[in-house]
Amino acid sequence: MNPRRKQRLFIASLLFLGLAAGAALILTALDENIDFFYSPTEILHGKKETGLKPKIGQRLRIGGMVKEGSVVRSEKDLNVTFALQTNGDVVYVTFDGILPDLFREGQGIVAQGHLRSPNKVEAFEVLAKHDEEYMPPEIAEAMKGIKHEKPQYTAEQLETLEQKKSY
Amino acid sequence: MLPEIGHFALILSLFFTVALAIFPMWGAQKNIPALIALARPLVWGYFVLASISLFCLSWAFYHNDFSVVYVAKNSNSMLPWYYRLSAVWGAHEGSLLLWIWILALWTAGVALFSRKLKKSDVARVLAVLGFVSIGFLLFTLITSNPFERTLPYFPIDGRDLNPLLQDFGLIIHPPMLYMGYVGFSVAFAFAISALISGRMDSSWARWARPWTLLAWGFLTAGIALGSWWAYYELGWGGWWFWDPVENASFMPWLAGTALIHSLAVTEKRNAFKSWTLLLAISAFSLSLLGTFLVRSGILVSVHAFASEPERGIFILGYLIVVIGGALTLYALRANTLVSSHRYKLFSREVLLFCNNVLLVVALAVVLLGTLLPLVHKELGLGSISIGEPFFNKLFSYLYIPFALILAFAPLIRWKQDKIQRVKKDILLGAVATVFTLALCYFTYSIDNPWTLVGVGLALWVAIMTFVELKSNKQIAKLPMSHWGMVFGHLGFAVMVIGIAMTTFGSVERDVRMKAGDQVELSGFTFTFESIEQVQGPNYSSHLADFTVQGGDKTYELHAEKRFYPVQKSVMTEAGIDDGLMRDLYVALGEQIDDDYWGVRVYVKPYVRWIWLGSIFMCIAAVFCIADRRYRHVLSWRSSADKATSQA
Amino acid sequence: MKFKLIIPGIFLVFCGFFYSGLFSDPMNIENVQVERQFPSFKLKDLMDDSIEYTAADVKGQVTLVNVWGVWCVTCRIELPFLTQLRQVQGMRIVGVYYDNAADAVFGDVDINQTRKEVVQMLGQYGDPFVFNIYDAKRDLSLDLGITGAPEHFLVDVDGTIVWHRRGDINPRIWQDELAPIYQGLLSKQAKGAN
Repeated sequence: MNPRRKQRLFIASLLFLGLAAGAALILTALDENIDFFYSPTEILHGKKETGLKPKIGQRLRIGGMVKEGSVVRSEKDLNVTFALQTNGDVVYVTFDGILPDLFREGQGIVAQGHLRSPNKVEAFEVLAKHDEEYMPPEIAEAMKGIKHEKPQYTAEQLETLEQKKSY
Repeated sequence: MLPEIGHFALILSLFFTVALAIFPMWGAQKNIPALIALARPLVWGYFVLASISLFCLSWAFYHNDFSVVYVAKNSNSMLPWYYRLSAVWGAHEGSLLLWIWILALWTAGVALFSRKLKKSDVARVLAVLGFVSIGFLLFTLITSNPFERTLPYFPIDGRDLNPLLQDFGLIIHPPMLYMGYVGFSVAFAFAISALISGRMDSSWARWARPWTLLAWGFLTAGIALGSWWAYYELGWGGWWFWDPVENASFMPWLAGTALIHSLAVTEKRNAFKSWTLLLAISAFSLSLLGTFLVRSGILVSVHAFASEPERGIFILGYLIVVIGGALTLYALRANTLVSSHRYKLFSREVLLFCNNVLLVVALAVVLLGTLLPLVHKELGLGSISIGEPFFNKLFSYLYIPFALILAFAPLIRWKQDKIQRVKKDILLGAVATVFTLALCYFTYSIDNPWTLVGVGLALWVAIMTFVELKSNKQIAKLPMSHWGMVFGHLGFAVMVIGIAMTTFGSVERDVRMKAGDQVELSGFTFTFESIEQVQGPNYSSHLADFTVQGGDKTYELHAEKRFYPVQKSVMTEAGIDDGLMRDLYVALGEQIDDDYWGVRVYVKPYVRWIWLGSIFMCIAAVFCIADRRYRHVLSWRSSADKATSQA
Repeated sequence: MKFKLIIPGIFLVFCGFFYSGLFSDPMNIENVQVERQFPSFKLKDLMDDSIEYTAADVKGQVTLVNVWGVWCVTCRIELPFLTQLRQVQGMRIVGVYYDNAADAVFGDVDINQTRKEVVQMLGQYGDPFVFNIYDAKRDLSLDLGITGAPEHFLVDVDGTIVWHRRGDINPRIWQDELAPIYQGLLSKQAKGAN
C-alpha cells in the first residue's frame, strides 16, 4: 500500500469507528430516555395492542383525570398524592413540588415519573392540559385570539364566520 | 380597497416569480443575453409588489380594519399601535406574508449586490430564488390568504392578540428568525446554481459567504430572543426546552454553523466543495422542514401553528419538489465538482472537518429526537416522548471533542503543520486553563464533574483564542473576519459557561411558605414579606412581596399570580432580579390554604451569559461580513461603472 | 458515484412518514370503553330536575351520545351538522352536559344561568338532542374516560359502545367513519326487530 492509500484507510477506519461509537451512544441514550405513554387502565391491565404492562421502576408518562376528592396534601411540605382515573381504573400519583396552575380535581393531567408499585407512580413532573376542549386545528387557530374580551359578533356574523370555517 | 390591492399585488408577484424562475434560467442555459438581462427587473417587480402587499396588511392592522378576517382574529382596537403592527405576524397567514416579503428582500439584496458576478451565474441564483418563492406564494394564495374579508357582516372589534404574544420579545423574535431561515435560501440558490452550471471556484464561496454569515447572525439572534422570552415570560425559569418548535430552529442553526466554517475552507483553500454544497442545501432544507413541522401541526407542541391536513400536504409536496429535487441534483452532479486542493492529516482543514462532522452528528441527534416520536407512532408502536436528558446527555458528550478541537484549530496552519511548531502555545494555554479552572474550582467550590468539564473546556477555548490572537505578529492589522472568528469563539465559550453554571449550579426549591417565612438558598435569604390581592385591568391577582438578603445587599422581588376571569386562565409572573453573576428568581405556585402558598425560589448563576454569548456571536457575524474582501466583492456598481467613475 | 442517491432516498422515506403523520388524527386515541357496556349511571335531566335517567335510556335504539358544554366552541360549531344528522338520518342523539371544570372551580355553577345559555345556544345553532343528561359531578364523564369536549359514543341496541370519537363530528368524519358503522347497526337493529 502506498502512503496515500494508507492514510485514506486510516481516515476511513477512524470515521467508521467514530460513527459506530456515536451510534452506540445515541442508542443507549435513547433507550434510557424514551418515555411511553400509559393511561391508568393500561398500567393496570396492559396496553391494548400488546398487552404489555410497564415494569416497576420504569420511567413513563401517565395521563388521566384527577379523581374528585382524592387530592391529599402533606401538612408540612409540598408533598401531594392524588388518584388518576380512566374508565374506573385508578392509579395513585405522588409528587413533591408545585403543581401547575391548571391542576384541578376532575381535570385531565399528564405526569411524568417512575412506576413504584403496580398502581403507584412517583412523579417528577406534572403537566396540566390547558384546555379540556378538543379543537379541530382550524378552529383552534381561529380561536387563538379570544383572550381579553369576548368577541362581539351578531348572530349572522357568527354564522357566516362559521360557514367559512367548516369547509 | 387596500386589502384588495394587497391581494392583487400578491397575485401579480406570483407571475413575476414564475417568470423569474423560467426565463433567466433558460437564458443562462442557452446563453441568451436578453433573457438573462430580464432577471433583475423581474426581481425589482417582485420586491415592490411583495412590499405593497405587506404594507396593505399592516395598514389594515394599523387602522383596525376588522372587515379583514385575519385582522379581526388577531387584533383589537384597544391594542397599542406597536402590538397592532406586530400582530401582522402574530398568526399563520400574516407570518407567511412576512416570510414572502423577507424572501423578496433577500432576493433583491442579491440582485443589488452582485454586479461583479458573472451575469449568467446571477441569473441562475435569482431564478432559483424565484422558484423557491413560487411555492410560498402559491401556498399563501391558495390555502392561507391573509386578505380574506368578512363582508358584508364584520365585527365591531377584533378578538385581540394572545396576551402571551403582547411582548417586546415577540415583536422582534419572528422577523429575526425568519431573516435567518429565509436567508439560508441564498446559500441554497448559490449551491443549486453551482450544481447546474457545474462550476464552483473559490470566488463562488467568496460570494456565498457573507450572505450565509448574515443569515446565520439573524438566526442566532432570533433563537436567543426566543429563549430569553421563554425564560422571563413562560414563568418557570427554563431557557431551553427541546421543544419541537425550538428544535426546528436549532437544526438549521447547526447546519448553518457547519456551513459558515466549511465555506471558509472552500473560499480560502478551494476544498470541501461537495461537502459545502451539501451543507448549503441542508441548511435551507432544514429551515423548510422546520416550517413544515411547525405549520402542519404534525408535531404537537406548545406553540404550534395548527392547521388542516390540506395545508400540510401542500407544504409536503413543496418540500419534496425543492428538497428532494435539490438532493437528487446534488447526488447526480456533485462529483463533477472536484476539489483540487490536497492537505495532510494534521492540518486546519482536517480539524475543521472534524468539527463539521461533530456539528452534523449533533444535528442528527436533534433530528432523531424530534422525529422519532412521529415515526414511532406511525409505525403503530404507540405514543412516546423523548426526554430532555436524551438531548442533554448527547450534547454534553459531543461538546468534549468539539471544544477540544475548536480551541487549537485556529493555531494550526492550512494544508499541513507540525505539532512541534505549536507545542509551546498549546502547553501555555493548557497550563493557563488548568490554573484558571482551579481558581474557579476553589472560589465557587464546583462539585459537579460536568460543570468542571463544561467550564474547563470553555475556558480552554477562550484562553486558546487569546493565545492565537497573541501569536499573530501585528494584531492591529488583522482582517475583520479574524476578529469575527475571535468573537464567535469567545461567544461560544461565554455561552457554554452560562449553560454549565446554570444547569448544574442552579439551586431550586419548592417550598411551602406563609407571609413572614424565610428560606435559605445558597447564601441568600428569601423572606416572604406579604401577599395582597390586587385588581388589574382585566385580571385579579395575588401580588407577593419578597425581600432577598445576600451578603450586605437587599433586593426586592414581586411575584404575581394572575387570574383572567374572562378566559379563565392563570398566569404566573415571576419576580426576577437579574445580574451578570446570578439571577434571583421567585415564582408563586398554588395557594395551598388560607395562609400557605407553594413558592418556587431559584438562584441561577450566570444565566445571563447564555444570551451574552449569543450577542458575541451576532457581533462576530457582523465583523466577518465587514471584512474588506467582501466590501470589494459586494459592490452594487458593476466593474464598468467603476471604471467610468474613476476616469 | 451514485451512492449519493441514498441521501434523497432517506429524505423520501421521511416524507412517507410525514404524509401518514398528516392524516393520523391526534384525537384518535383508543378509548378503552369501546366494545364494553355503557357504564351505569343515575342522573337528572339538564332542564328538569324531576326527570332521572339511567343507562337503560341510552339502550334500545342505536344512539349517539354527545358529551358537550356551552363553553366549548367546537361543540357549538358541530351543532348544525348534528342537527342535520338528526333531521336527515333520523339519528337519535343524547347529550351529556359537561360543565367546564374550571368553571366549577373558579365560581359556583349556576344551573339557571347554564340552562339559559343552553337554550340560547341550541336555539341559535340547532338542537340535535332527544334529551340532555346533566352530569353535575362529572361521574359519568369519568367513567366514560372523557378527557375533553366534545366526545362522542355510538351505542348499539343492547347498550354496547361501538364507536368513539374525540373531537368534532364533521361531514368528513361522518362519511369516512361514522356512516358505515351507523348504517350497519341500523340494519342489525332492523333484523333484531323482525
